Amino acid sequence: MVTASKGFGNPTRRVDILKEQILDAVPCIETERALIITEAYKASEGAPAVIRRAKALEKILQGLPIVIREEEVIVGSLTKHPRSSQVYPEFSNKWLKDEFDRIGKRNGDSFQISDEAKQELNQVFEYWDGKTTNELATSYMDPDTLDCMNANVFTVGNYYFNGVGHVSVDYGKVLKKGFKGIMAEVVEAMNYADENDPAYIKKNQFWNATIIACNAAIDYAKRYAVTARSMAEKCMDSRRRAELFKIADVCEQVPANGAKNFYEACQSFWFVHLIINIESNGHSISPTRFDQYMYPYFAMDKSISEEVAQELIDCVWIKLNDINKVRDEVSTSAFGGYPMFQNLIVGGQTDDGLDATNDLSYMCMNATAHVRLSQPSFSVRVWSKTPDEFLLKACELSRLGLGMPAFYNDEVIIPALTNRGLTLRDARGYGMIGCVEPQKPGKTEGWHDAAFFNLAKILEITLNNGMCDGKQLGPKTGDIASCQNFEELLEAYRSQMKYFVKRLAYADNCVDIAHAERAPLPFLSSMVDDCIGTGKSLQEGGAHYNFTGPQGVGVANVGDSFMAIKQLVFKDKKITLSELKAALDSNFGAASAPSASNSQDPSYDMVAEVVRRILSQHKNIDMAAIKETVSNIKMPPAGDMKSLQQMLIHSAPKFGNDIDEVDMLAREGALIYCQEVEKYTNPRGGQFQAGLYPASINVLMGTHVGATPDGRMSHEPLADGVSPVRGADSSGPTAAINSVAKLDHFIASNGTLLNQKFHPSAVQGENGLKNLAALVRSYFDQKGMHVQFNVIDRDTLLAAQKNPEQYRDLVIRVAGYSAQFISLDKAIQDDIIKRTEQMF
Amino acid sequence: MSEEIELVDYEKKGIVFNIQKFSIHDGPGVRSIVFVKGCTLSCKWCSNPEAQNHQPIVLFNEKSCISCGKCLSACSNNAIDPSIKGLINRKLCVACGSCATICPAKALTISGKTMSVNEVIQEIKKDAIMYRRSNGGITISGGEPLVQADFVAEILKACKALGWNTAIETTGYADFTQIERVIPYVDTILLDIKNIESEIHQRGTGQANELILANALRLAAMAAKVVVRVPLIPEFNANSRSIHLIAEFAKYMANVSEIHLLPYHKLGANKYELLGRNYPMDDSLETPAEEDVAAYKKIVEDHGFSCTIGG
Repeated sequence: MVTASKGFGNPTRRVDILKEQILDAVPCIETERALIITEAYKASEGAPAVIRRAKALEKILQGLPIVIREEEVIVGSLTKHPRSSQVYPEFSNKWLKDEFDRIGKRNGDSFQISDEAKQELNQVFEYWDGKTTNELATSYMDPDTLDCMNANVFTVGNYYFNGVGHVSVDYGKVLKKGFKGIMAEVVEAMNYADENDPAYIKKNQFWNATIIACNAAIDYAKRYAVTARSMAEKCMDSRRRAELFKIADVCEQVPANGAKNFYEACQSFWFVHLIINIESNGHSISPTRFDQYMYPYFAMDKSISEEVAQELIDCVWIKLNDINKVRDEVSTSAFGGYPMFQNLIVGGQTDDGLDATNDLSYMCMNATAHVRLSQPSFSVRVWSKTPDEFLLKACELSRLGLGMPAFYNDEVIIPALTNRGLTLRDARGYGMIGCVEPQKPGKTEGWHDAAFFNLAKILEITLNNGMCDGKQLGPKTGDIASCQNFEELLEAYRSQMKYFVKRLAYADNCVDIAHAERAPLPFLSSMVDDCIGTGKSLQEGGAHYNFTGPQGVGVANVGDSFMAIKQLVFKDKKITLSELKAALDSNFGAASAPSASNSQDPSYDMVAEVVRRILSQHKNIDMAAIKETVSNIKMPPAGDMKSLQQMLIHSAPKFGNDIDEVDMLAREGALIYCQEVEKYTNPRGGQFQAGLYPASINVLMGTHVGATPDGRMSHEPLADGVSPVRGADSSGPTAAINSVAKLDHFIASNGTLLNQKFHPSAVQGENGLKNLAALVRSYFDQKGMHVQFNVIDRDTLLAAQKNPEQYRDLVIRVAGYSAQFISLDKAIQDDIIKRTEQMF
Repeated sequence: MSEEIELVDYEKKGIVFNIQKFSIHDGPGVRSIVFVKGCTLSCKWCSNPEAQNHQPIVLFNEKSCISCGKCLSACSNNAIDPSIKGLINRKLCVACGSCATICPAKALTISGKTMSVNEVIQEIKKDAIMYRRSNGGITISGGEPLVQADFVAEILKACKALGWNTAIETTGYADFTQIERVIPYVDTILLDIKNIESEIHQRGTGQANELILANALRLAAMAAKVVVRVPLIPEFNANSRSIHLIAEFAKYMANVSEIHLLPYHKLGANKYELLGRNYPMDDSLETPAEEDVAAYKKIVEDHGFSCTIGG
């Protein structure tokens, strides 16, 4: 029995070597896949799309180089070089061509590419001109929708340029019966089909395509068997020789057949996972409940010691870091750091509602601690019956400073999913996709990362009467200066939201249709219910559950802005809306350039200047009498812009401090978005559902939004996820979680995200772990959905010294008590930083 | 004796200068600390000097000031004087708070506000789930909580009525009747014993220690749990002799099994600036070296107590 003993044990030498390969890797772009798929497509012109995809996959799996790296026991590589990327020209390619010469020199997420590769790809790209999913999607979009995208109100970038990914297949099915078993299922479906059904014609194509794909997967594994055997025969080292023979035996067996032991199960899992990544370049291909579907093979396998089983799991973790995908520059700023978002979750409950924690759940935690790499995105499920030792161990893992695991609350997610039509059993079996998106693995096409929608931008457009960049982008909801009370403003925001969410849904559905028409994926579809039963690919709506999940970003900025307006304009009457507007337009005086939203006539400024002077000299003028004029010109705010900004920041409560009034406004701002989103349906027959998480796009989205009434300067990042504005939550972690828990997490069923920062000293010792666990339990008692902790290192403390305003929420243990880091004197901060150095 | 339900006077008012959530080092579990104003001692090393005075007080943080000048016109007592260090003429200031209200950058703030027991309870209730999940609760600190014994007793009574664990941090320098007011509602008393030698005690804290020691002996016999806390102050008690004496004394106290040593730090230093005062401690004094602290811990343990550094 594995217990939550202290520590995680050490990785084996093999694991250390494999990890070094990943760390030493210089990511490259390799071209084999692009070349092969292009040749395959040239050869299949005119055939149905699903057959073309199947045949292309077959050719790719026949032609990709077979790579067995030093010391590997779990084999199968996307590329010759570790951590490198293939190219998927069928989704989009123009950006890559444009970035050829810059891609190796990027500050982050760079890839090396040879001149030869560039040449090869250039030729390939010519063929794809006009044939990509991206181009088809664009052709479906109407001008209004394209305008919204150009104005950066939202982006559907991910699936617009790449495969969809964001899926978790039924790994357990392949482990159990192998691809031979799946093909038998397909044959059975074909036998029972009604040939007189007109839909049969297309179904039959799909079934044939899946059989091609399954066979291709089996043959691919056999190529590994052949290579391993020939390497073994040449190998002089008897230990490695035996390992290679073993690899050959395993690859002969799986994934063609069901796995007979834990080793075969690990290898079979890996082939499935790898080939999904070869078939399409969508990211967030998530293993989800690894501890559940692997457990039977661990439990029955008497031939293997726990140490060996642990090493195998560690090796799978390493392989998850071997896969990489090249993204365009903009996406890179949204998802920095080569993330693949392969979410793997342990714990939680069984379909029957019993606690699901098992030995593998703990061993997966060990693996994460051993490997200490960014993949898999490791998560744990928590519910009322989660054993305390499991939660404490997860907290211990969290304390290592990896930012993992992420904690998920069954008590919110299960009802949120049943509300979306999942059965109770399916909802209990949920796993997480990508960042924070729940779904039932093996039954869902969730389209979880459908779009990022800029909530703060909607507020900006509302304040500008529908104008954006000098253009009437949204409906005219009224001149803000004539707004009489806060409810009117909220109503205007709601109307703008209505319009832009409609455009968002339109854009998403254009992309959705393009994928169905040009990129149905037969291999992937063979492992998601009910594709085989319905004879439809995932992309065409074959899954049991279908969703589209666009994310709202900037919840806290909207809430804080609402609060500032409600309090300072309407309640305290310290400023007028026109003054506020003028301050925002000028970016609190920082910008000489006027707002893009206001047309600028030089005489305007002159008149404004005159009026300003007269008003300041004649204090007795009745402002109400000339209100109309004043609202139309730029009035200087009372005092200078800087102090107005300070007032916005300090004189109205901020989300994240457990103050009901502002927390409820943040809730309202988010809810208006979520309720609009769920009105729409997608072409796969499913519903839209909102999420509230940003990956790292809150930084990029911030650059598209001018100054906001919460005192945020133009271009500054937006708040991430449902977290408070960075630094605005100055009342400690419990106040922050209490505030965030006031949002409606049930309706945001595509996921919410809360990040919390801690200094290692705040969670040290046995008590530190218990307190962290108590914090998780408390947040979850109040129906929060997700939380993860950053246990802060020294570098962050240095950064906090440099930019204290951004670290107001950083709590650290000082001497006998904890304090807000930035409130401390420089000398003491230095002292703590020095102390921290000793601690690490 | 029949159990009587004691009514809490929720309207009772006191002066609070901070409520700190997620405190994890002042009593068991995760706690909220209610800091009340006023102190009977004036320790040179005090890290909450703004709390020494019973009344609210204005703080000025020069680093946040944007020099907008709004405070000048807001003050009706002409107490704002940019020419003096710390901005505020403390002789004229009546802590009305007008300047803090108008200051857009919150460079001027007022420390201390009148709150009712009800208001305090409403605020700390927000973390009630956290207390339950972590076996934590409420700690009252200061200043010296016993200066507002009636107010503090009502808060503690209300906490007990809600089932929370309670603690107070006290200097012990108070009339014993005040201690008796609060003791029935306190689970843990964190009692400072700073020095056994009265003369040294007087030099460091402004008061002799006889009352404190007498109170220590009396309350230890009454309270459920007493933890002795010793701030380790260089040139005051950070030496083997002082620690030895304190530990020896603690043996006479019933219900004490734990002693916390809190090494000196300069965290309060910048607060003196906010008050326009000079830091009373010699600037060259540093936090006691780790090995010395370890030696003091050993002394404490040799006397049969468990010892925590930094409590």
